[in-house]
Amino acid sequence: MGNKQTIFTDEIIILLSFFFSLHARYHELAPHLVPMDYTNEPDCKLPLALIVNMPELKENPFRNRIVESFSEDGMGNLSFNEFVDMFSVLSEMAPRELKAIYAFKIYDYNVDNYLCKEDLKKTLNKLTKEELTPEEVDLVCDKTIEEADLDGDNKLSYSDFENMITRAPDFLSTFHIRI
Amino acid sequence: MTSYSHGGFHNPAYHDSETLEIDRRYSRKTDHTNPYAREEVAWRGSNNRTVAEHGSMIQTVSGNDSPYGGWQEENRRGRENIPMGLISTQPGRTPWQNDLNRSTSYSNIDSQYNPSPPGPPPSSITGKSTIRWRGNTMRRMSMFPNTDPAYAAFTENAIKNEMENEEQNLVKELVPLSTRERIQAIQELPMSFEEKKHIRSQVLAFKSSNQSRQCTCFTDCSENVSLFFRRCGYAIRSTKQTLGLWQGTMKEIGGKFGTSVLSYFLFLKWLLMFNIFSFLVNFSFITIPVLVFEPSPNTPANVTFRGLELLTGAGYFRYTVMYYGGYSNETLHGLVDYDMQLSYFFTIAVYMALCVFVLVISATNSFKNNYTPEASASNGAWQLLCSWDFRVTNERAVRQRKNNLRVQLKESLSENSYSEQLTLSVRLKHFGIYLGFWLLSIGLAAGCGASIFFLCRYEEQRTTDSVSWTLAQEAETLVVPFVVSLMNLVVPLFYSLFNKFEHYSSQRRKVYALVLRNVFLRLSILGVLCYHWMNVVSKKYSCWETIVGQSLYRLVIFDFMFLLLGSFFGEFLRNVIGTTLLPSLGVPDFDIARNVLELIYAQTLSWVGIYFSPLLPAIQILKFFILFYLKKVSLTRNCQPPQRTGRAAQMQTAFICLLFFPFFVGSLSIVGYTAWSLTPSTQCGPFKGLNNTFSVVAVWMEELEEIPGADWVIWIYQRVIRSEVFYFLITIIIIIITYMFWQISQGRKELIGILKQQIVNEGKDKSFLLDKLQNLQKPNRSNKRHKQMNTEKHSKRPEDHSSGGPSKSNAMFQALLARQQLEEEEERRSTDGVPVPSDISSSSALTLAMMARQRAEGQEEHFTRVSDQHFSQSSGFAHVTQVTQRSGGQLTDGYYGAPEDLDHPTSSVSSIMMQVMQARQRAEEEDRRQWAPAHPQNQAPSGSSALIQAMLARQQAQNEFDDGY
Repeated sequence: MGNKQTIFTDEIIILLSFFFSLHARYHELAPHLVPMDYTNEPDCKLPLALIVNMPELKENPFRNRIVESFSEDGMGNLSFNEFVDMFSVLSEMAPRELKAIYAFKIYDYNVDNYLCKEDLKKTLNKLTKEELTPEEVDLVCDKTIEEADLDGDNKLSYSDFENMITRAPDFLSTFHIRI
Repeated sequence: MTSYSHGGFHNPAYHDSETLEIDRRYSRKTDHTNPYAREEVAWRGSNNRTVAEHGSMIQTVSGNDSPYGGWQEENRRGRENIPMGLISTQPGRTPWQNDLNRSTSYSNIDSQYNPSPPGPPPSSITGKSTIRWRGNTMRRMSMFPNTDPAYAAFTENAIKNEMENEEQNLVKELVPLSTRERIQAIQELPMSFEEKKHIRSQVLAFKSSNQSRQCTCFTDCSENVSLFFRRCGYAIRSTKQTLGLWQGTMKEIGGKFGTSVLSYFLFLKWLLMFNIFSFLVNFSFITIPVLVFEPSPNTPANVTFRGLELLTGAGYFRYTVMYYGGYSNETLHGLVDYDMQLSYFFTIAVYMALCVFVLVISATNSFKNNYTPEASASNGAWQLLCSWDFRVTNERAVRQRKNNLRVQLKESLSENSYSEQLTLSVRLKHFGIYLGFWLLSIGLAAGCGASIFFLCRYEEQRTTDSVSWTLAQEAETLVVPFVVSLMNLVVPLFYSLFNKFEHYSSQRRKVYALVLRNVFLRLSILGVLCYHWMNVVSKKYSCWETIVGQSLYRLVIFDFMFLLLGSFFGEFLRNVIGTTLLPSLGVPDFDIARNVLELIYAQTLSWVGIYFSPLLPAIQILKFFILFYLKKVSLTRNCQPPQRTGRAAQMQTAFICLLFFPFFVGSLSIVGYTAWSLTPSTQCGPFKGLNNTFSVVAVWMEELEEIPGADWVIWIYQRVIRSEVFYFLITIIIIIITYMFWQISQGRKELIGILKQQIVNEGKDKSFLLDKLQNLQKPNRSNKRHKQMNTEKHSKRPEDHSSGGPSKSNAMFQALLARQQLEEEEERRSTDGVPVPSDISSSSALTLAMMARQRAEGQEEHFTRVSDQHFSQSSGFAHVTQVTQRSGGQLTDGYYGAPEDLDHPTSSVSSIMMQVMQARQRAEEEDRRQWAPAHPQNQAPSGSSALIQAMLARQQAQNEFDDGY
């Protein structure tokens, strides 16, 4: 009943422009590695070092974490699909919850599903070029935890984080990379 | 397996909370195909082991009709203060059967997968369940990165099964949704693109297989139509995105200056679009018909184009379609009759109505998205985790941003200590400064208004109402707009200066104070001008609307010129001075507030002028277009991003509200006043000869009376539009609705407060329990074998009781054990790959433990009050401990026997249950006897019963655990 075709066109219409521009960018990163034709060679991954050199990510203090959180192996190697995932989460159209989930992953350096003080310290150091004194870093982190931690376990769980995000409406527009 | 269950104990974080579920790698979601899924699962997951059996026991013993009688009774006795959302009245199934079903399915879950849940799929899946999917899938995603090799070996199969199961459930939940909802739900899944595609295709396949039989022509057709519309929508959206105006420029600005500066440009773009729209409306409905029928303006012979018109808008322009006077009141006869009066009136009216609509919609939207309850407390957390702007891609900008953030963090650290030290005298001083500067600013605004008023009167006396002015006369008209624009440029500088002397506690307050003063200034100037136009100009000139239109034109033009000058002097020269002459000044910031206010002012002028000069939006379009590039160049050349990034989104909301409230509402009321109360000029314009503009409608109605089919229009006009009763009713209804919504929002606020308090309490409980648990675990560490640990606990308990030590810790101990047990049990289940609703049951285990704790606390109070009666209590205890001991012994037996025969333990367990119940009843009776005469005022349930209940909870958990095994 043409169902197959329906799916096909639907998909294309949604993603066409986004997809093409993304693939162009992906290809551009490593023209000799990435094929233009995906029928024969579906399995190719780009290493982290190439991806963080994109102008959109190059200056971002969290670039490595962003790429790592979207890569299946956790090492930052991205296949094209993961590449698409990354920029669709960072695009304008992604819903708030999705963005929050991935933002949480990005800030969670040790992947223990909590933002503990160490994570916050790392974040802070990336954000301030490590120019704050250790005492100040401690103070800021403590203050952050104190403010955002609802259940008193001295670290931020995802629900704490989400709660904070809902009170920061800017987040939707700032957690956004135009491609 | 053993090491796994111990792992939970050694890691304190593991026990932590409802958020644990993120880390429960083998946790499962249940088949929530029942609309009451949440409740039901909570029921099964937490209390099923204890209460369900308990309930059925009661049923068998006492013949109680309600299967939950015992449970509810228990509630009344001990836990009034626990929210009982967990209880669901689930008709049809007895919990007991349910339980059996589950335990059988646990045993063979590895070998077979049982996909079909009973009952129809839910008709309404709400956001709640969506969030649950997300939670689950997130958990699942988080499984992989930190997989411990210890678990990898045996779980592979289980995980696979589980994932398939989960996916199937997901697909089933997605199937009944409408297409739009489904797409949205799939979009929101935190999965990789590949998986989403997979799920989507599955859903579609499922759907088509379901529908293939009943596929009729009609459904096919409607499907196609909806598909077509959807495609159109996508196509429009995607083209809008790719073709959007200034896409690249916006990206560049965002990359260099961040979101807050970008918001100015977005606002500018929005206003530009708005003006294009209004220009199209006015041009097509008012101007084109006139141009078609009278291509050349009927200018008097002695008026020629002199060039100065571009600035003044007078002279040659006066007779063109630019102004009100250029239109006629004739009915144009062509293919159809076109009544100019009506079209002019209705175009303006509809345009204003559309403006209201658009503004209200965008203001409320922005309010909805960006309004947050006063969250100043979370400033630090916000700065650290949410303030980084991922858009910024420019190296210099990133460096600057980091610097700014550092400075801000340092400031907020010092501010914290600073604000606490403020003494009363300092506060008074600050207050005095505020007051002084506010008075000064308002005085300045009023002075500006007054000077404009006198200037207008002076100009009024010098001009005459003649057909054509001399060049000098024409040039004189430029004085007023020049002075007005100058004031708009200079006075805000003073305001900024004032701002430097004041001490505001937060940046936002400072900006809002500045904005408010500027708004006062502009409003007072505009107010005086409007007063002048309405009261003086309208009486003096023969074609006064055109004169007003010309004044507005001049204002718009001069405003534009001063915007150019402002960015030249304010930004370019300031940059030159800052970089070469006075390096201490530095590069100027881009002042978002001032710039946005300028835009708002410009837009207000065009709204006021829409009636007097319908083509003013055309000028406005040109102005905004040039302004965009000018500001962009000025920004990139001269400015640096603002050092203090306020919360841009909130600022934007404030600006849209500002645009709507004083400015648009003000111009609407001026246009309305003109149309309702002022007499249109008799010499020119579409409304000449009428008493007021609105009487156009009355005239139209008279015409309509001759047409037979138009009775209803006249009826509406007579009964609705012209009747006071109608407006009276509408007003009352709106007030009532507003009041209701206000009340509702108040109620919600209270509810939010309560819920927040609950979260805090729960957190406290959790940390308390954790401490206790860790203390208790220390002695148990040495016991490696889980089974041994169990028996040990049993044997240990009586000792505690007999020693007569603090019974509070006993109850605590019980509660903790109960919780521990539940968790162990759950872990075991999950290691077997059996579907246990971990997220729910863990939290319900927590609830159970909390209940126990509450009871323990109540009991503690009790003990401190009447410690002399201690002995009798412990006698009540003794019974129960005996029973528990016995049952404990039996259980350890049953523990080994159970796996072979699942039916058998139920009977043995129920006999234990019976004994326990009896013991409990006895204990309670005893208690009552003990307490009632001695302390008649003491109405609280006795401590020992609380203790027993805690023990029962524990006991039942134990039973259930063994049973399920």
